[in-house]
Amino acid sequence: MKRRRDTADTPADRMLADVPLQEEVVLVRIDVAGDDVEPLLERGIVPGCKLCPIRHAPAGGPTVYRVDGELVALRKETASCLCVRSSLEAAGVLDSN
Amino acid sequence: MNGATGSATLDRVSAGGTGVDDGTPLVALVGPPNSGKSTLFNHLTGLRQRVANYPGVTVERRSGIANLPAGPVELIDLPGVHGLSPRSLDQMVTRDVLLGEIEGGRQPDAIVLVLDATRLKSHLMVAEPVLAVGIPTLVVLTMADELDRREGTVRCSRLSDELGVEVALVNARDVGTLHPVHAFLDALHTGGEQVRACPIVSAAEHGEERGSGRALPVIDVFAGRRQRAGELGRAAAFQAPRPSRSTQRIDALVLHRVWGPVVFAAVVAIVFQSIFTWAVPLMDATEAAIATSGRYLGGVLPAGWFRSLLLDGVWAGVGSVMVFLPQILILFFFIAILEDSGYMARAAVIADRLMHRVGLQGKSFLPLLSAYACAVPAIMSARTVEAERDRIATIFVAPFMTCSARLPVYALLIAAFIPAGPLLGPFLGVRAGVLIGLYLLGVVAAIGTAALLKRTLLRGRSAPFVMELPPYRLPTARSILTRLLDRTKVFLRRAGKIILTVTVVLWVLTQFPRTPVGEAPVIGDSALGQIGQVIEPAIEPLGFDWRIGIGLVTSLAAREVIVGTLGTIYGVESAEEDAFELQAALQQDLDLGAAVALLVFFVFALQCMSTVAIMRRETGGWRWPILQFCYMLVLAYAGAWVANAVL
Repeated sequence: MKRRRDTADTPADRMLADVPLQEEVVLVRIDVAGDDVEPLLERGIVPGCKLCPIRHAPAGGPTVYRVDGELVALRKETASCLCVRSSLEAAGVLDSN
Repeated sequence: MNGATGSATLDRVSAGGTGVDDGTPLVALVGPPNSGKSTLFNHLTGLRQRVANYPGVTVERRSGIANLPAGPVELIDLPGVHGLSPRSLDQMVTRDVLLGEIEGGRQPDAIVLVLDATRLKSHLMVAEPVLAVGIPTLVVLTMADELDRREGTVRCSRLSDELGVEVALVNARDVGTLHPVHAFLDALHTGGEQVRACPIVSAAEHGEERGSGRALPVIDVFAGRRQRAGELGRAAAFQAPRPSRSTQRIDALVLHRVWGPVVFAAVVAIVFQSIFTWAVPLMDATEAAIATSGRYLGGVLPAGWFRSLLLDGVWAGVGSVMVFLPQILILFFFIAILEDSGYMARAAVIADRLMHRVGLQGKSFLPLLSAYACAVPAIMSARTVEAERDRIATIFVAPFMTCSARLPVYALLIAAFIPAGPLLGPFLGVRAGVLIGLYLLGVVAAIGTAALLKRTLLRGRSAPFVMELPPYRLPTARSILTRLLDRTKVFLRRAGKIILTVTVVLWVLTQFPRTPVGEAPVIGDSALGQIGQVIEPAIEPLGFDWRIGIGLVTSLAAREVIVGTLGTIYGVESAEEDAFELQAALQQDLDLGAAVALLVFFVFALQCMSTVAIMRRETGGWRWPILQFCYMLVLAYAGAWVANAVL
């Protein structure tokens, strides 16, 4: 997958499924309903954690993410429910305006 | 992996190292999955282990005794959990055990919390609810060697100060590093300072699962927990290890666009090849051993009802099941290697796409693979499928996978009715082709059923698929042997209970009513024969007579029983002691259509009491097992009718 780099007009938030491989982002919101959210939370996928997509499984299968240093695979549909921000923005570097 | 127990699920926790208060300190081992908990347990207890079940649930209760200088300590190895919320059966049982609320058990005197030092940041999240239990706790950080190799660090003394309990950094595979664990367990006898009361952490304060109501939304609870875990890590000077290079390299291959599926297919092929080919000599040897011992007993014992019961009932019945032990052990050997090495998680990722399409998910792969040996452990291991609808769907289709109990039936009928000859030149014979066809028929039925369920009873949004990929590790011989030993015990218990009961009842039914001169009746006149004649009209459309009918009835207990039953029926009828010409006898009673109908019936029907029993426990009621039994019976009857009508 080609690495994409958004510049000045970067919309603050994206969905994790749209993040290119090797770009580290910070989770800001989880749009998963009810009990389904707990398996994510228990594995450290909570607002504030760092996520980095590192590998796509073959044939449109799940994507492997590094979550605070550990490997977790998520389907695209789940990654589409996780709202993220680039780690630089999250750190406030670009938030000065 | 959780194992099977079948009828053994009825085991009660009894005295003798099972949680009854006999003065032996009781210590619970808790930790997230893949934290090295079971490795530590195996090292501490050696072979002094026993596996039972918690009353009323099928969660295995693995316990063992660790002998320490000051006296013995009983350890229980709890299932791997990420927390104590009642989200899954495993977590519920873990919580109940820690709080002493499990039926027939008592609260442990201490907890050993096992966390993976290389994944401390997320594993520390479990510490909070476990420490909140408030009993003396030792936190054991495992994988010290790996942390060191990958240049990570942690200061145990600082973490200990923060948590208020002892913390030890060990390598669970190296007994030399386990001294602090031994000291902690020993202190339970001597009252040493290691066993200090846990500082009371109010669970309610964190909106925890224990108390009344949730103070905070669940996301906030976990976000808070993660934040505190992060603070703990910083206070303990935790330096996360760099990513494992070997794991990266192996993943680049096994999750590769092209090579990933190739490796996956190769692994599955090797597993199946081993079940069908490599197991044969072992199975032949087992069979020979049973036959030889039976002949020996026959020669030693005086003729009479006892010899008949022992040889025709017990030896033949239990022996017919024992033959599968090598096959089941070979399958579990591979499953243990795949799980312990870390590949099973990758296989689930590879399989997810395909399985999701038919209404299942990647985590269904392991249960369905296990189901090729036996549906009972398969249904239990479906607990790793967290999404409830997916778990039920996995459980429901697992019995369609061709378990090893079907093999002797297939082998008998194929040898009797399908001519040997080439199908695809030298590569595939007709008989092997038919066997593969029966396997595929089961797979097709499973796919269709899963798709049907997801469009009807289990309709709904699919739950998230979250699969952790642990670093690759070399499986240890010790861990694999322990697991195989467990499986053997569980299997023998099953053979000893269900199969023994059925064969003895069957034998009794062939012996009565006695003839006027007090002899056993002709099989057609016996109670068993009469039962067969009652059901004959129902199975006539399938091409079966009353003898097959009896076989079908007895095989409701377990599929393989039909082989022994038919042996008994034809053997008794012809009154030849060594009448092992079952194939010839069957050829006289069945035509090709009826034989294929019988094969198809066995592909679809749920003839297994253990599976029904385990279904009831795992789904919490009779609804699913009754539905499954009826559904599979209708499918079997219809399939057999079509086969008989067409051929």
